[in-house]
Amino acid sequence: MSTVRKYMMRTMNSVCEEDSIEDVIRVMNKIEMSVLPVVDDENKFLGTIYSRNLLKNIIPEQYGFLESHRLLYQVNQAAENLAEIKDRKVKEYMSTNTTAVKENDKMDNIADIMLDNKESYLYVVNDDNKLRGYISRADLLYYLLEVGEDQQ
Amino acid sequence: MITTVTLNPAIDREYFVKENKPKSHQYLYTERDIKVSPGGKGLLSAINLRKLGYSDVQNIGFVGGRQGLFFEKMVQEHGITTNYIFTESEIRNNIFVISREPVTYTHYNDYSYKVEPGDVENLIKRFRRGIVDSDFIMISGSIPEGVNFSIYQRLIQICHEAGKDVYLHASGEVLNRALEERPKVVVPYFKHTNKILDKKIVNDDDYIWAGKKLQEEGAEYVMMPFHCSRLLFDKDGDVYKLTPRDFCLRNWLGAGEAYNAAFFDYVYQHGFDFLEANKYAAGAALAIAESKDIFLADRAMIKEKSDNIIIKKLEV
Repeated sequence: MSTVRKYMMRTMNSVCEEDSIEDVIRVMNKIEMSVLPVVDDENKFLGTIYSRNLLKNIIPEQYGFLESHRLLYQVNQAAENLAEIKDRKVKEYMSTNTTAVKENDKMDNIADIMLDNKESYLYVVNDDNKLRGYISRADLLYYLLEVGEDQQ
Repeated sequence: MITTVTLNPAIDREYFVKENKPKSHQYLYTERDIKVSPGGKGLLSAINLRKLGYSDVQNIGFVGGRQGLFFEKMVQEHGITTNYIFTESEIRNNIFVISREPVTYTHYNDYSYKVEPGDVENLIKRFRRGIVDSDFIMISGSIPEGVNFSIYQRLIQICHEAGKDVYLHASGEVLNRALEERPKVVVPYFKHTNKILDKKIVNDDDYIWAGKKLQEEGAEYVMMPFHCSRLLFDKDGDVYKLTPRDFCLRNWLGAGEAYNAAFFDYVYQHGFDFLEANKYAAGAALAIAESKDIFLADRAMIKEKSDNIIIKKLEV
């Protein structure tokens, strides 16, 4: 039976609760991820911080419904709002109700968790709840592709 | 978890051509003529450790730019856990052009990589929490521009505060400063400068002097490359010469990293026995030196070659 360990991406890219929002944005930009795991000073998984949550906090109204002449105003307002919160701590904006999976969990169970949580990424921890990487929807699909090929 | 540190990694790009002709276009049509791989002393040791069966091996360091993401993916394909600080500056690319007729080897070593002070502080933070599950940490290789020579000293200090031992494979000023923190094992390398502790190393007495001086300055144990052998400086002041016998050298590439990895493997399996760990590690280096591969395949190949390693005490 295939386990998460085989398909996961093994990376410790992460931030801490005390890091600033600016740090988070810079890391997200460099590693091209819109979500990061939050860990304590022993790498224990505490939750996640989403770019979506940050945007919700700085954009005054939903994009997409704006009249074009208001868009510039909204962008400027968002930039100003971001300047106000960029020195704030991760712990103020992180989500702590995030599900993590274990390296030895079976891949067959991952689909349920991903659909239930509507997550693109699930963070992977070891038995001590320490971060070891992540598994994505793409990894799940790749696994299912392999299962299908084996069945044929 | 096993932790190795590589602060100045590179993407190694090897191009194999029939003849290296300057001022002319050459075309490479087959995959086998191009090899792209992640490089860096600590990283290569980490790959060896994965091949020896350790499931949890991480590599900490800097990588840069968009090519840094490509580098990270290459490392992850080896099953290594990456723990990198991403910098603005692009990671280094080392170019090797290897021709068959005549046999030539042209190497362009890229030293353009630079990290910013903020990157260094981020690395320190990441390192501090990255080593919590490791008892013995390998710090290995050169440092990029923008990093102070005292970086290894800082990293070793963090390890010691957390009760961890350090295996240091370094050279030059960064090694000189690191000694102040008294690392457990020091393996100097000096092919670029031929100097250890700022002194030119020429004859046999210089090697003995350097080993003892490294201990005087702070190293507990020293393993000194000595032509095809090694000089081992034990904690109690004894000096040994480790020599391979009956061997046929094919390829030095990867031998040093196999040595470092196997030393760790021995310590993890049997505890810290300086001479026995070196004998085993030298078996690993010999196995690589006698093959065309640059990575260890398994422990059997190490054990087979360990019998060809002789360690003799020197009267110094």
